[in-house]
Amino acid sequence: MRIVKPKQLEQLAAGYRKTAGKHKKTVTVCCGTGCLAKGAQKIVDAFEECLNRRKVKDFDVEAVKKTGCHGFCEQGPLVVIEPQGIFYTKVKPKDIESIIEKSIENDEVIEKLLYTNPQDGRKIEKYSDIPFYSHQRRIALRNVGKIVPSDIREYIAVDGYKALAKVLTTMTPDQVIDEITKSELRGRGGGGFSAGKKWRTCRNVAADVRYVICNGDEGDPGAFMDCSIMEGDPHSVLEGMIICAFAVGAKQGYIYVRDEYPLAGIRLQKAIAASEEYGLLGDKILGTDFSFSIRLSRGAGAFVCGESSALMRSVAGEVGEPRAKYIHSVVKGLYDLPTVLNNVETFVNVPVIINSGADWFKKIGVAKNSGTKAFSLVGKVRNTGLIEVAMGTTMREIIYDIGGGIIDGRTFKGVQTGGPSGGCLPETQLDLPVDFDSLTKAGSMMGSGGMIIMDDKTCMVDVARYFLNFLVSESCGKCVPCREGLYQLHKLTEKICEGNGTEEDIEKMEKLSQQIVVGSLCGLGKSGPKPLLSTIKYYRDEYLAHIRDKKCPAGVCKNLIAYRVIPETCTGCMACVNACVYQAITGRKKEPQVINPDICQKCGACAAVCKYNAIEVS
Amino acid sequence: MVTMTINGKLARAKEGEMLLAVLRREKIDIPALCHHEAVEPYGGCRLCMVEITKKEWAGGKNMVTSCLYPVEDGLIIQTHTTDLIELRKTILDLYLARCPNTPAIQDLAAQYGVTQTSYEPVTDPDDCILCGLCTRICDRMGFGAISAVNRGHSREIAPPMKNAPPDCVGCLACALNCPTNHIKYSDRGFTREIWGRKFDLVRDAKTGQPTITKEFADYLSKHSDIPRDYFELKDESHRRETALSLGKIAIWNREVPQ
Amino acid sequence: MKSRFIVTPSLCTGCRTCELACSFTHAQDGKIGRSRIYPLDGGFKDLYVPVVCLQCEDPACVKSCLVNAIHFNENTGAYEINPEICVGCMACVAACPFGCSLFDTQQNLVIKCDLCGGDPVCAHFCPSKALTYKPIAT
Repeated sequence: MRIVKPKQLEQLAAGYRKTAGKHKKTVTVCCGTGCLAKGAQKIVDAFEECLNRRKVKDFDVEAVKKTGCHGFCEQGPLVVIEPQGIFYTKVKPKDIESIIEKSIENDEVIEKLLYTNPQDGRKIEKYSDIPFYSHQRRIALRNVGKIVPSDIREYIAVDGYKALAKVLTTMTPDQVIDEITKSELRGRGGGGFSAGKKWRTCRNVAADVRYVICNGDEGDPGAFMDCSIMEGDPHSVLEGMIICAFAVGAKQGYIYVRDEYPLAGIRLQKAIAASEEYGLLGDKILGTDFSFSIRLSRGAGAFVCGESSALMRSVAGEVGEPRAKYIHSVVKGLYDLPTVLNNVETFVNVPVIINSGADWFKKIGVAKNSGTKAFSLVGKVRNTGLIEVAMGTTMREIIYDIGGGIIDGRTFKGVQTGGPSGGCLPETQLDLPVDFDSLTKAGSMMGSGGMIIMDDKTCMVDVARYFLNFLVSESCGKCVPCREGLYQLHKLTEKICEGNGTEEDIEKMEKLSQQIVVGSLCGLGKSGPKPLLSTIKYYRDEYLAHIRDKKCPAGVCKNLIAYRVIPETCTGCMACVNACVYQAITGRKKEPQVINPDICQKCGACAAVCKYNAIEVS
Repeated sequence: MVTMTINGKLARAKEGEMLLAVLRREKIDIPALCHHEAVEPYGGCRLCMVEITKKEWAGGKNMVTSCLYPVEDGLIIQTHTTDLIELRKTILDLYLARCPNTPAIQDLAAQYGVTQTSYEPVTDPDDCILCGLCTRICDRMGFGAISAVNRGHSREIAPPMKNAPPDCVGCLACALNCPTNHIKYSDRGFTREIWGRKFDLVRDAKTGQPTITKEFADYLSKHSDIPRDYFELKDESHRRETALSLGKIAIWNREVPQ
Repeated sequence: MKSRFIVTPSLCTGCRTCELACSFTHAQDGKIGRSRIYPLDGGFKDLYVPVVCLQCEDPACVKSCLVNAIHFNENTGAYEINPEICVGCMACVAACPFGCSLFDTQQNLVIKCDLCGGDPVCAHFCPSKALTYKPIAT
């Protein structure tokens, strides 16, 4: 059914809202990749099975919605009863029967499934009251976890495509660019470049053919914001792209999805088909003269293809290698034609800005950093998951109020932002506002939004080594500073982790890093030394401990640690002997065991099985 | 026409030219290992980087690879600042770590005062500096027989699946333009061997000397619409034949007493 | 074309002064270069023919060059090989039916007569005027 007038869209939206309202209550089952891995499909199946057996008033299978990622991955599988907002955590299939009986048929709440606030031990009923959620401001993630992503009707019911209709019928392309520019929306992929400026430059290039590309490569380890948006709200990505295409004058668009996100690809493909059917994409959109098509382009497993010029080569079927961008891709991009490339999260902000206005958007966040940012909060924090906060929120708020602090009672050591291109920030920087400019000034960067929390058991030299290792294997290898320089930096960090480093090595690494930053061809190389430089800046003592004292304070670097049985605590149960595959532990039953340091491979299996904490790492 | 300032001197350039061409014309010696005029500039070795600024930039500077940066009116260029020398030193130092025994790299590095690498040399080094000239030229010629495979530090130049390349015609363009003479080939009698493939060389009917490979001759004849028998003689024989033919014409025209 | 290079074999004595002049003119780094002109036996008594690039109207060398290194110079009337573009594959050497494209082992490049950029030295030095560079009558 094709929509050829905005009025039709309004009527449809109203109609879908009415149909949805026929259920007094609805159940949202989080089916983001994380919860699916924890068994969310079984939850859905249990609902279906149960509802086949018993008839419930004003409730049926249709009221059980499989949505995208709700965000609180640590507590999944998640089930939410709407409209009350009752939040059930760690749900198992066997709980479904009682959920239906108590919370659907009646208005009772199942205590044992509720979230327990670790601060005071109290149970919280509604998710909006949970600190993890109450401190967030979900704009890019507005629909993720709320709607069924593969159903266009759900998207239309929440004002989906209303912005597109507004743009096509009441605005000129220049007005759209003006509005986006006024909002000061900055690229959410990491570059932080003004989206409006980018669109304006592309539009001003004289050309018959232009392209719009959405960067869904999200290569940073630990980042899954774009994943959740593509899986959980694919239509908003499309809407953002179509509005952009109208503004710059493009007829063809591509979404580059990394191949490691098959579900995102499937959801986007379905969304494209559905919106084409409804006349919201393709020929003569909404009955106007504007036509725009979108195709999916699959990545093939290279981090470097997240770089815009490498991405465009990949879309064109060539090997993903970046090029020097003295001539920007907005002037000469895909197939040497003007191309706008923006991140997934940037595009999904566009419909909201059109609907609510640039002024409204600017009020959120801080000066020159308007709006919100989605983060994947991972690592040694209690509440890992997908969050979104207003720009300018402090790191402390994110880690402690939303994240719930460090797990296992350990102490905070550092937070890595921006993935392999970013840096580590220590405790002294905890009150830093999280925005593009502040993070860059402190020696890190916003990046795409990965936020890895580390505790005192994390070795910062090892962290630098880890990221360098990643970059060395992901470098395209075209330019010398990155290919050879990062390789040598990695070798030097390895040397230090093995206990063979010298103090001159630190100076050597700092000097080489400066040259790599200056000389590299693309962003991968230019920002590659950042994790190393930031850890040397803020954790120099740890480097010196490895070098001077040949010790790893965090107990991580294998060459510098030793596993030892504490004879006073050991009960001689020999659980460790059984766990050790290297047969490094000897001793008689009920007597203290002894670890042979020459055989011990420091895998930690013995410490993991010891119930008496009788094994220490020095 | 644009006017720029290079190391304090004025220089003119055509629109669309790259900085490196202008620098070369002005006889300024800048290394550019991955550059060749037959193929598109690459920006891989980073040795040709120069410092640029403009009056409007109010002191702001940029470092760019001159092979890829188009000329601009009013550009102010410095080619040998201390920062640039430092950068070239580091790059050559890194090159020496990859190719410690390669004379071409040793010579260039020595020019910048780097006699041995301060980093960890690779075990089992070869002479390939991964400038990509061989693959880019092969692509430009229309064969595409070899390419860069693998990523990052494991990157290497190889034919498909590291087998003898089916598209190679044995023209030797890759070997002749390799800055470090890394690509080895052998011409023995009427057989040429390169990249693991053996080629037959055309034998000059008059002198018995070898010329180009049969495959290359076949390709050229087909591709350029030139009769295949042109390629059966070496240039020496062609010259002799030409002299004889033109001699006959002179006689026939009665220009010479018989 | 403003001038034309004319070769008159009947006047050639085979003295090879042209060959010398060409080699010296194209000297590189103090070493004499390879000559692009060769007086050869014409097949009859006392008949010598200076063999040099005929600057063909439809040159086989240009057609055979896979990297477009050979271009026509409007001013001199000669086809020139750009040494910076030439990759030394010898396609043109093999293709030229007159054998006037030559491989220079010193530079690892192909060379040919370029009429010395508009003032051919061999014509200057030819004692018998077998080689001349004359303006075309318009």
